[in-house]
Amino acid sequence: MEELLTLLGDGHARTIEHLAMELDTSIEDVERKIEFLEHAGRIRRVVFCRGGCNGCSGCSTKGSDGVMCKGCMPENGFQNMGVMWEVCKA
Amino acid sequence: MSQSATIALLGQPNSGKSTLFNALTGLRQHVGNWPGKTVEKKEGSFSHAGKEYLVADLPGSYSLSANSDEEVITRDYIASGKADVVCILADSSQLQRSLYMLADFAGIDAPCFLLLNMADVAKDQGKQIDAEAIEQKLGIPVIPFSATDTKAYGGFYEALDRALTKKARLNVEALSGQYDSVKGFREICSLIPEGAIAGYSPMWIAVKVIENDKVVLDRLRNAVDAETFGRIEQAKKDAQSAVETGGCKFAWIDEVLGSAVTKESKKVSLGRLDRIYTSRVWGKAAVIFTVLFGLIASFIPALPLMGVGSVILMAKAPVGNALTSIGCPEVITLIVTDVIIQSFSYIFKMLGFVFGVTLVFGLLEEVGIMARISYVFDNTMGKLGLQGKSVMPFLVSFGCTMGGAAGARVIDNWGQKVLTIALAWAVPCGAAWATIPMLSSIFFGPGAIVVITAILFTMLLHMWVTAKIFGSRLVKKEERYGMIMELPPYHKPRWRALFGYVMGRTKETFIRVTKVVLMVCGLFWILSYSPSGGNGGILYRIGVAIEPVTKFFGMPWQLFLSYVASAVGKEGAIGVISALYNGGSYGAAFTQAMSGGGTAANLSEILLANVSRPEALAFIFAMTFNMPCVVALAATYQETHSAKWTARIVLYYTVVSLLLAFAAYHIGLLIW
Ligand SMILES: Nc1nc2c(ncn2[C@@H]2O[C@H](COP(=O)(O)OP(=O)(O)O)[C@@H](O)[C@H]2O)c(=O)[nH]1
Repeated sequence: MEELLTLLGDGHARTIEHLAMELDTSIEDVERKIEFLEHAGRIRRVVFCRGGCNGCSGCSTKGSDGVMCKGCMPENGFQNMGVMWEVCKA
Repeated sequence: MSQSATIALLGQPNSGKSTLFNALTGLRQHVGNWPGKTVEKKEGSFSHAGKEYLVADLPGSYSLSANSDEEVITRDYIASGKADVVCILADSSQLQRSLYMLADFAGIDAPCFLLLNMADVAKDQGKQIDAEAIEQKLGIPVIPFSATDTKAYGGFYEALDRALTKKARLNVEALSGQYDSVKGFREICSLIPEGAIAGYSPMWIAVKVIENDKVVLDRLRNAVDAETFGRIEQAKKDAQSAVETGGCKFAWIDEVLGSAVTKESKKVSLGRLDRIYTSRVWGKAAVIFTVLFGLIASFIPALPLMGVGSVILMAKAPVGNALTSIGCPEVITLIVTDVIIQSFSYIFKMLGFVFGVTLVFGLLEEVGIMARISYVFDNTMGKLGLQGKSVMPFLVSFGCTMGGAAGARVIDNWGQKVLTIALAWAVPCGAAWATIPMLSSIFFGPGAIVVITAILFTMLLHMWVTAKIFGSRLVKKEERYGMIMELPPYHKPRWRALFGYVMGRTKETFIRVTKVVLMVCGLFWILSYSPSGGNGGILYRIGVAIEPVTKFFGMPWQLFLSYVASAVGKEGAIGVISALYNGGSYGAAFTQAMSGGGTAANLSEILLANVSRPEALAFIFAMTFNMPCVVALAATYQETHSAKWTARIVLYYTVVSLLLAFAAYHIGLLIW
């Protein structure tokens, strides 16, 4: 798992497939390590505030999110954007 | 009943614990709380083969660390010996992953057995699992199982019985061997006396010490003498961390599974599309090409609605004549034809593009290409001084700048956040993508494609320059932290959902655009209306007065006012154009155009007769790169908490948009 973190140390983004290829392992192995590192607080899932996420955790201004204009930003837009994790600052 | 035994169910969330618990106990269960905690406690009972069993469903969690109350409750319950046997559930369809719980449990002193649950799912996946081989290595009963198949619980009762009679303990030798490779483990382990914390082996405690488990450390402090504890703490300082012990657990799992799980393992490889999209060399070009192609393709679904817009316009003359013939006052007639019908013609043309753009980009998102874009531009973000996740706010800004500003919240560094918002302003929003193609197609016909391409590249350049200008003040050269992305698999679009989404958005846009356009158009029409029919109207006088200045940026005064209105909302610009270039009487050129076709004169023709192509180009650039809208402005202030920076950004965008207009005008003059 150190190899995984070392690899990410260069600051680049990688997909799970790329990681699996670079570490010469399986997708499942990378996935379980991501799960572990997330629980261990070494990486963090990036949660985006979309319009209308009323008072979701991580929003700096709670309650005022519902005002996004729906015509611009439909509620069910940007759902299929995958998941991102970032390495936490040491 | 002669005997009874207590079973504790242990497993990660979704391992099937509740299913098993319910199947075993049926109605004989009750729910309470663990003493002093708000964690739910589920207990129940059942009898089998003349024996009474109590079942405790332990709170599900990822592992047995001190991360949450659940996990501490669970491990303490098991270690207390209150349960005669622990039934551990793992998910057969992903054993590598779900056996982590077993690995974290290893070292707690309790009889146990392992259910490889979801055996049916694993079978469907084509996996063959040799439970006996695993049993050999673990030293506890191991069986394939399906909690949902309640008629086939025979194996469960048999394994339960075996575990109870043999008091089966997990064989942890191999795991301990793995831990030996962790720096500091042996030393810490040797310092911990057997039974220091009841129910936990020194190996387990040592691992938790390395993992910096606060609960264990506190108990250990009380359990050993101060000197020993000091030495443990000293050894801990030099020891490795949870990442290494976690790695050992995974390595042990792989060792246990060994050849027991067979599945034709395919080598990881990228699909053909991903080889292009995620390529360091071709990715960006592929993405830009895709977006450009998408914008152009948006014209196709836009055509029918644009047709509706033109049809509406044709109603202008008959409606005007009809109203006049029934003796309707001229003002009313003009309001109906010039304000309402005119505006709706524009609105439908804009809706055409909103529909087209939403459909095409919704489709790109559905099939999974949008997600690739954020991956491709990660590195570029770094060059702009931003973290990779800033891509998301930018993408959202294509829909709504305000959404982009709100999305920038994920960026914890204030400077980077402000820079992200400042750059997001350069991304033309949904309303701009409705007005740009419409105006471009009026003035440039098929050449609109070139204009759109130019806008897209100007946007990229704008963002680059803006990052250079603001970047030095906002972001310090900072280390970049890597990122992992799970890209959604490519899949066929679900057309129904997609159309629902597209129609929803088109409807919402219709409502909003109608409000803004009618309001702005009405207001400007009143301001420019002059009953005498001459060159009256306040606006006309103001307009002529400022024209020398606005002409410098390549815009006649009407377009300049329209540019100003676009700061309220891009669709506001259309309202102004609609009001100022229609039936009202302005200069001579206009009257000439009118004398030919009367009120029925085609609006596009009037525009073409009054506005030259370089002027139109200047206006399109000015409007596109003007500040997005007042709401986005408010959002920017709200997110940055800085009036100074918000003002700076506004001023900067105003200046740059006028400069771009100036440049576009002069380039236009060279061409036409
Ligand atoms: N196919 C299949 N599904 C199962 C099996 N066991 C549980 N499930 C399903 O997996 C999901 C999670 O199960 P649940 O008992 O709620 O898990 P818990 O979170 O551990 O309590 C439910 O939808 C169950 O129906 C199984 O053996 N086979």
